[in-house]
Amino acid sequence: MSEKKEQKNNNLLSWKETWKVSLRALKLFYHYRPSMLWIHTFYTIYTALTPFVGIFLSARIIEELSGNKDPHRLTVLVLFTLGLSALLSLIGSLTRRHFKVEDQFLYWLERQIRADKMLRMDYALVDDTKVHEKLNTLDQYSDNAGRSLRRVIWFYDMILSGIISLFGGFSLSVSLFTSKVPESAGGLTALNNPLFIVLIIGLLLAVTYLSPIFVVKADAIWAKGANDHNLSNRLFGFYGFLGAKAKIAEDIRMYCQETLCEKHNKSKEGTFHSNGYYARQSRGAIGIYYMISSIFSVIFIGVVYLFVCSKAWAGAFGLGMVTQYISTISKLSGKVSSLFQVLGQARNHAAFLKMNFDFLDIKNIMYHGNLPIDKTDVKNWQIEFQDVSFRYPGSEQYVLRHVNIKFHAGERLAVVGQNGSGKTTFIKLLCRLYDPTEGAILLNGTDIRKYDYQEYLSIFSVVFQDFCLTNYTLGQNISAREEYDRVLVEDCLKKAGFGERLNELPLGTETYLSKSLSKEGVDMSGGEKQKIALARTLYKNAPFIILDEPTAALDPMAEAEIYSRFNEIIEDKTAIYISHRLSSCRFCDDILVFHKGAVVQQGSHDSLIQDSAGKYHELWFAQAQYYTNK
Amino acid sequence: MKKEPKKVSEPQESKPSKKEKPPKPKFNMWQNAWWMLKLSWAEKEKKVPILCILSAALAISSNLTGLFITPVILGTVESHAPLHTMLLTILGFVGLNLLINTLSSYINANEIYGKITLRSAIISRLNTKACITSYPNLNQKDFQELMKKANDATSSNNRSSEAIWYTMQRVLQNMTGFIIYLFLMSALPPALIAVVLLTSLLNYIISMPLNNYSYRHKEELSKILNRLGYIQDVSRDHTMAKDIRLFGLRPWLQELQEKAIKAHLAYLMREQNVLIWSGIADLILAFLRNGIAYAYLIGLVLNDGISISMFLLYFSATGNFNGWVSGILNSLLTMHRQSVDISIIREVLDYSEPFHIMDGEPLRVAPDCHYELRLEHVSFRYPEAEKDTLTDIDLTLHPGEKLAIVGLNGAGKTTLVKLLCGLLDPTKGRVLLDGRDIREYNRRDYYKLFSAVFQNFSLLPSTIAANVAQTEENIDMKRVSECVEKASLTEKIESLPDGYENKLNREIHLDAVMLSGGETQRLMLARALYKNGPVVVLDEPTAALDPIAESDLYQKYSEMTRGRSSVYISHRLASTRFCDRIILISDGRIIEEGTHETLLQKGAAYAELFEVQSRYYREEAPANV
Repeated sequence: MSEKKEQKNNNLLSWKETWKVSLRALKLFYHYRPSMLWIHTFYTIYTALTPFVGIFLSARIIEELSGNKDPHRLTVLVLFTLGLSALLSLIGSLTRRHFKVEDQFLYWLERQIRADKMLRMDYALVDDTKVHEKLNTLDQYSDNAGRSLRRVIWFYDMILSGIISLFGGFSLSVSLFTSKVPESAGGLTALNNPLFIVLIIGLLLAVTYLSPIFVVKADAIWAKGANDHNLSNRLFGFYGFLGAKAKIAEDIRMYCQETLCEKHNKSKEGTFHSNGYYARQSRGAIGIYYMISSIFSVIFIGVVYLFVCSKAWAGAFGLGMVTQYISTISKLSGKVSSLFQVLGQARNHAAFLKMNFDFLDIKNIMYHGNLPIDKTDVKNWQIEFQDVSFRYPGSEQYVLRHVNIKFHAGERLAVVGQNGSGKTTFIKLLCRLYDPTEGAILLNGTDIRKYDYQEYLSIFSVVFQDFCLTNYTLGQNISAREEYDRVLVEDCLKKAGFGERLNELPLGTETYLSKSLSKEGVDMSGGEKQKIALARTLYKNAPFIILDEPTAALDPMAEAEIYSRFNEIIEDKTAIYISHRLSSCRFCDDILVFHKGAVVQQGSHDSLIQDSAGKYHELWFAQAQYYTNK
Repeated sequence: MKKEPKKVSEPQESKPSKKEKPPKPKFNMWQNAWWMLKLSWAEKEKKVPILCILSAALAISSNLTGLFITPVILGTVESHAPLHTMLLTILGFVGLNLLINTLSSYINANEIYGKITLRSAIISRLNTKACITSYPNLNQKDFQELMKKANDATSSNNRSSEAIWYTMQRVLQNMTGFIIYLFLMSALPPALIAVVLLTSLLNYIISMPLNNYSYRHKEELSKILNRLGYIQDVSRDHTMAKDIRLFGLRPWLQELQEKAIKAHLAYLMREQNVLIWSGIADLILAFLRNGIAYAYLIGLVLNDGISISMFLLYFSATGNFNGWVSGILNSLLTMHRQSVDISIIREVLDYSEPFHIMDGEPLRVAPDCHYELRLEHVSFRYPEAEKDTLTDIDLTLHPGEKLAIVGLNGAGKTTLVKLLCGLLDPTKGRVLLDGRDIREYNRRDYYKLFSAVFQNFSLLPSTIAANVAQTEENIDMKRVSECVEKASLTEKIESLPDGYENKLNREIHLDAVMLSGGETQRLMLARALYKNGPVVVLDEPTAALDPIAESDLYQKYSEMTRGRSSVYISHRLASTRFCDRIILISDGRIIEEGTHETLLQKGAAYAELFEVQSRYYREEAPANV
């Protein structure tokens, strides 16, 4: 089951590290949402203390009942108890609202933290599969295995509640030790010996020490299985829901894929299934550890019962106090043992918190200059690649090698080459989504790294081959704003050839681009989306327009339409065009031919086609032969 | 196991009272409980109901010891019983508690696995149904709705398909507890019991509609969460990252997220502001109930001289009794709701099939057999469409023939192929296999005829070999490598560290390899060849290929389809030259038919299309359009 790369070492962190990383996680949440932590703190303290009020008051009623039995006093006591309980419940209910809101929001807050991080990362990092893996692993741990960042809040609540209960409990049970068995009780006066206090406290400490040991052991088995768990969950997530993928329904049927699905889904060996790792561990070690850990608190309560009742039997205090002590101590022992269990769990969990910070601490490395770009003289701009070589971070293989080219603003540039020849990478470097590994790219003679990054990005408008639109409205997609200039958006849509379709849409630019966010949304076809993406580049009105393989999904008519329209709409802007359909090159002033990461030819169609040994000639005729020689 | 459900919300906004009543579920609560029990038997997970019963028994025992422990021990102190009696009583209770606690800890640790296995079994059945159900069902609105709800009901541990076990346990536990307490409290006057019952009922009546708030507004919430989840997904989606950065989408996305968060928090606060009234009703009724219980029981102590321990016992018992009553009411309500979901799951599984999926005439497909496929006056109209997508198509695919289907986007090419492959049945006319209506055959057998490469394909998170062979056992490796060779992918695969054993799909296998679009397309071609069906269907297989790879595929086409019939769909007209016959579809009709040469000579629609596509390739190309 386990895979090489997944065998990560989830070492147990030291207590000091646990404390540091947990505190850091709390601070992170406080940074995002201080009110959340305040509400948790108040509500936790409040709910930890209020039960003791009830215990104290009921004990007074019993005391009165077993003592003076004064009806008037009893009435007052009962009414006071009931009234105060009602008041405390009321305050509790009022604060619980806020607590519940925060608690239900916490899942989304954790997601927000990760989404924000991704939004702020350099593209080179976002594009790195190692980063995706980190992110996916975090998701899976937190969604499926309970190993989330937000769990630290639960630890915080439990620990705080345990400590506060300790204070409350001690204040109600201190007199247990101070009240003396009267001399008349004979041998039982031995209970007055302070050694008993030591004994009880010692026992309490022993229980609090022993009980969590076993829970922690069981928890460690859980943590150990977390990796396998993720893989089998992912496999189940795939094979269990393959049929739901409507897009590939034809393929599933033609290849009878239900057979393979059933083989996977019916296996009971999955991590959480009846014969899986956890089930086997739970029948054995985990189950037994839990059994053992449950023994200690029962024994502790038993001993306290024995002590309290013996003292009471010997006459040290009355029935009222007996109920008070017993209730207090039962309450306390549960709290205390869970307090220590939680401490152990928090330590087991710290490694997972650290994984979260490993992700959140990924540092942006791209240099951001601050030179402004002078946009007054766009027509005379020049871009130059100076001996640019590039390999993706972590890869040995160069995707681009010694690229030396120059081109001018206002040109139409075509970029051609076989799959994997480096065309798209070239564009990514040009737009500075990546920086070259070696060499430099110059805009008007200045290294592009020296320009203000946002400003540099703003001079390019790109329709990537795998461009994405969101499911939000047409207008928002095009303008990247909630409030947009409708006239301008409509104008761009018309220019991009979407005008007719726009007129058919009753909501116009307010149409959502999918049914998933709005019932009135419209699912667009591939060709329509392409036009919308084109409109977005027009709206941006940048001096450079880049189109990456825009016609793959289009039929001949639509393709011809895009060609002619493209020519028309780019006006005096610089256009860069990547395509497998070499017919598009005819529009371009300059053609770059990529082969195995290098620019092997540059020139116009007419000049390149002359070189019958060249790559361009080969590519052109591979395609043209089917259209020319009748 | 999955995170928050994402559902399309209902058209109604936030006015729940106006909402129509959902249709009555097909199966009632007890039928569904029985179905779940039968499921546990069929899947060999009898331990699930058994553990439920044990858990219920232990919960009741724990409740009873908790009820008795303080009063009984207090009783020994009160009556000043001999010291050893008191000590033995305490030890007895401690022993009992030890037993109950250890057993429940053990059961607790073990009870989820069977339940998860059963939920997975339901998921597996639903998935199989989704994979094999008659293709048109997938476009049925009600099937989609049911399927979505069924998937939601199985999406995590706390959804109906698994949680109903816990609910059934609670029903059992509360009813049994209730009966035991009735006996225990028989010494108390019926009036007191009636008061407790009454306050519990009142509490239920008041809080049910309030607690229902979340249930009634679950569409509203899911709509809000759908947005919030979506915007967060977009923000962190690496495929969106280029567009986000180049178009400066970050401020917009963050604003949208802020808004979605505000909407979510506002919803949660609204919900809590309603729920709080249930809390307030609860505290008022508790005040009354406890007041009456105190008054009556203190009266008993003062006037009838019952012991303090009996007082304590009765007082706790009235409190617990209230718990059983509301427990019964709430668990039955929950069970009723969850049963609606189970009913939906069963409706999906029983959903009627227009095709012969499990029955019908068996069809044994031998790879070297030749079949004739014929469309006889076939028309097809999608449900609720205003006009036919295909009209009166007459077309025969002769054994061994290479047929090309061309036409603009939306002309009906894909629908025609779906009819031919038996994914759709004609609205009018028939599809015949060697003269026999294909509707008579078992449809899944019929699918074995086709080696198809569609535009969207289903890549498995498994090895390359398994993806070619579509099985993980008994793979004929020799055939795999032959097919991969024919699809021109050998060089690539052999350059990979583990060759054919490399896994695909990075999302699932972290050590998987990534293939480019063109390579994947070739892998799918190899898969089609491995299947070795007598009819090859290729839908636009060159879209992701560069010119040289495209040309390479054309050269190999006749070799790949040797001895078989083939259907080639494309809007790249270059490809059609390798076919024996070309049909051009426009507006749902075959408007031209013939070979490339005859169609060009004809100088009509096909020739025009060819002209548009080829003009830039010819030397005398026009300068600009």
